[in-house]
Amino acid sequence: MKGLAKGLAVTLKTLTKRSVTQSYPEVLPELPPRSRGVIALFEENCTVCMLCARECPDWCIYIDSHKEVVPAREPGARDRTRNVLDRFAIDYALCMYCGICVEVCPFDALFWSPEFEYATDDILELTHEKDKLREWMWTVPPPPALDEHAEDPKELIQARKAVEKAEKAAAAARAAAAKAEENP
Amino acid sequence: MTARTVGVGIGADQLDTTDMVLNIGPQHPSTHGVLRLRLVLDGERIVSAEPIVGYMHRGAEKLFEVRDYRQIVMLANRHDWLSAFANELGVVLAVERMLGMEVPQRAVWARTLLAELNRVLNHLMFLGSYPLELGAITPIFHAFREREEIQAVMEEISGGRMHFMFNRVGGLKEDLPAGWIGRVRHAVATVRTRLSGLDDLVSGNEIFRARTRGVGVLTPALVAAYGVSGPIARASGVDFDLRRDEPYLAYGELADVLRVVTREEGDCLARFECLLEQVHVSLDLADACCDRLDELPQGPVNLRLPKVLKAPEGHTYAWTENPLGLNGYYLVSRGEKTPWRLKLRSASYNNVQVLTELLPGCLIADMVAILGSLFFVVGDIDK
Repeated sequence: MKGLAKGLAVTLKTLTKRSVTQSYPEVLPELPPRSRGVIALFEENCTVCMLCARECPDWCIYIDSHKEVVPAREPGARDRTRNVLDRFAIDYALCMYCGICVEVCPFDALFWSPEFEYATDDILELTHEKDKLREWMWTVPPPPALDEHAEDPKELIQARKAVEKAEKAAAAARAAAAKAEENP
Repeated sequence: MTARTVGVGIGADQLDTTDMVLNIGPQHPSTHGVLRLRLVLDGERIVSAEPIVGYMHRGAEKLFEVRDYRQIVMLANRHDWLSAFANELGVVLAVERMLGMEVPQRAVWARTLLAELNRVLNHLMFLGSYPLELGAITPIFHAFREREEIQAVMEEISGGRMHFMFNRVGGLKEDLPAGWIGRVRHAVATVRTRLSGLDDLVSGNEIFRARTRGVGVLTPALVAAYGVSGPIARASGVDFDLRRDEPYLAYGELADVLRVVTREEGDCLARFECLLEQVHVSLDLADACCDRLDELPQGPVNLRLPKVLKAPEGHTYAWTENPLGLNGYYLVSRGEKTPWRLKLRSASYNNVQVLTELLPGCLIADMVAILGSLFFVVGDIDK
């Protein structure tokens, strides 16, 4: 009896509170920027190096490309070849959402987007081609700011080093100049 | 062995009881997942029980052998989907030990924090689902509301809700987002205040107590014989917790916060109480980790790795106190970029084997209570 009363008390208490569930299709969830919803491709950055396809644990990335000859710009220079991306597709039916491809990409061509509304009833439709992946680029949010104890970004550390180096060089030059003035 | 009733008159032969074989599962609503139990029944009483495992075998150990260490993290966090972070941890600890790698301080503390939050997530799941199996529907909603608080912070840092994929050899994937520690503190405080509600609702309930007290008593001798570990073993009075007895991560420095929860009774109720109290301990540990992370000086959370990561020739065994029990990885490397062998010892596999001893003599109705109280994940059994 006591247990029942206790249970009903909890029910009453919860009855007065707002519900915590979200009515999804009407109200979209607010997802954090790091959410791994879908992988977007920034096609312009891709150099067809195939690292993502090779590192993928279940090989769900398909890449086709061909080589194109870029004629020499100046007379006497050599013709160059460059890779052109023909097909870039990710099979989301196979993808395990680990993000290794995003991590290994050396040219920042792959990004995570919190977009998640791409369920279909046909498994074949889950293979998305490069134009769809490029479209998802528009949904990629900027990365969140980091904790105050986080290491400074690489660029800042490098810039600081460069400044220190320049200051040292300037000081050395000044010292050398002063020395030269003392004993001409 | 079979007791036979001797009847006289019409229908006498029907009164004879013969043993009946009953299959529970592999797809039965009371077994979360595809565990199959082959029970031999004498009327309502269980004569013998045999857990038949392997319906979800994915060959994880064999797959490990053809994946590099980064890819293994992805596979390893999937065998026990309720404690993904803790599973990843075992792999990276093993590889780091082989490489003799010193992980940055901030990564160590952040890992400890995340491991404890993962433990809370896991335990809350069972605190909700176990009463559900016994017929109480309400607690699971409360447990899931609490889970959502922690899920939100885990998702914010790792981007995933289940397979966090946040450990890397040498540290973590990314640094903590700004203000995240504050949000963790808030989530931990919210869960802590609401936890007493769940406690009142379930462990104070007469029906729940009647169905669990004295049911499925597991003796320390059985714990030792079957290699049972985790909260289930501690509910039988086996005082063993790797976080205290062989500290890894930052647990060595958290000795004054870490309280190992034990019970003596060894019944279903004791196992449930152990789980509930462990959540409180984990929340305290999470708070301690937050305090420490705030004090630590600026620094990285990972190390730069070579392009091709190869573990040197040799072998090592790394074990961790996973939410459900001992989780061990025996790593044998021949100096390649993939392991030669990575043996996985998962807690649930050993824990369900003890059903053979626990179930005989019990009533069919108690079977669900006992099965649920062993807190297993089928993926963790079948690997």
